[in-house]
Amino acid sequence: MSTLAVTFVSADRTLWTGEAAQVVVPAIDGSMGILPRMQPTLAVLGQGRVRIIAENGEASEREIDGGFVSMDQDVVTIAVDTAARHETSR
Amino acid sequence: MGAQQREYKKRIRSAQGMKKIFKAQEMIAAARISKAHARVLATTPYADAITRAIGSVATHSSDLEHPFLEQDRTSTGRAGILLITSDRGMAGSYSPTAIRMAEELANKLRAEGKTPVMYVVGRKGETYYRFRNRPAHRAWAPYREEELGALGAEIADVVTADLLSTDPAVHLDELYAVGTRFVSRFQQFARATRLVPIQVVDGSETGTAPTYPLYEFAPDAEAVLDQLIPRYLESRIVNILMQSMASEHASRQKAMKTATDNAETQIRKFTRLANSARQAEITQELTEIVGGADALAGSGRKER
Repeated sequence: MSTLAVTFVSADRTLWTGEAAQVVVPAIDGSMGILPRMQPTLAVLGQGRVRIIAENGEASEREIDGGFVSMDQDVVTIAVDTAARHETSR
Repeated sequence: MGAQQREYKKRIRSAQGMKKIFKAQEMIAAARISKAHARVLATTPYADAITRAIGSVATHSSDLEHPFLEQDRTSTGRAGILLITSDRGMAGSYSPTAIRMAEELANKLRAEGKTPVMYVVGRKGETYYRFRNRPAHRAWAPYREEELGALGAEIADVVTADLLSTDPAVHLDELYAVGTRFVSRFQQFARATRLVPIQVVDGSETGTAPTYPLYEFAPDAEAVLDQLIPRYLESRIVNILMQSMASEHASRQKAMKTATDNAETQIRKFTRLANSARQAEITQELTEIVGGADALAGSGRKER
């Protein structure tokens, strides 16, 4: 199974990059899960948690507020306005 | 020790003291350049992502509508200029160059019949305008280097509000930014760029435009664009701020390097002068002794 190449950035720094099996983002019209081989999508984000699940099942979460996510050929770019400094769980 | 020598020694000591300070400043600046540059690079992924996203929305629907995209938004004739300068001096021509460029731009806008409205970052720029009795419309000074991101967001909020305002006393037609571009630690130059109206790079003009996949937009293309445009502006402003910060450090390093070299030249010069003063003193003393002995010998007295 292919993996997602995730780049998670805020306006002034890169928060997380790497491979992931699944990403869950809080889109403005409801939570959205992203799996490999999803169709190209560009979505606006609202307030909530971004959850990145690695291949070994480890999940990391971050509280975010506003931004957008783009998904194209298993490359996921999450760009957010504000993100909590520390991951809430690991 | 003669008075002259003492004076030279004093000058040498003071030059040595200054040299130490300049050297320390130079090293601090050198260390900060790489940090500041890393911060510039850290914003690149976000800027790339947002540029790509806007490009894909633009290619998706041809009839884009957003107040920042309209090429002709002339209504009040007010044009905003965002000027970025430093808080502190000792950075060579960094702030003066940026200020001069902003003034040139303001004069050009005035010649076109527009009213320049200044938004200034940094104490150097702020005092420049306050001293000339035409204070900036908004000024952010002093600012903290670690909070450039937050500062950029705040500036973006203020200018966005002014750009979208319907009040003719506040509304801005255009927005320019004058900052210093960081090319490398040896090369930086001040540059004025237009931020609004935004120039959407059209694929048909360049020919080598990247092809964007057919995205699915959530909730829809219009809403996505409405969210993206202000963020694009913000990311541009943050990027300019960070590049300017890196340039400031590079500029300060260069200025402090020159100052250190000058202090060294001073020390060398005064050491030479002090040496020759000492030699002159010795020569004079010798001459006096020899002259005195000669005078005694010539006086005809035999006993010593």
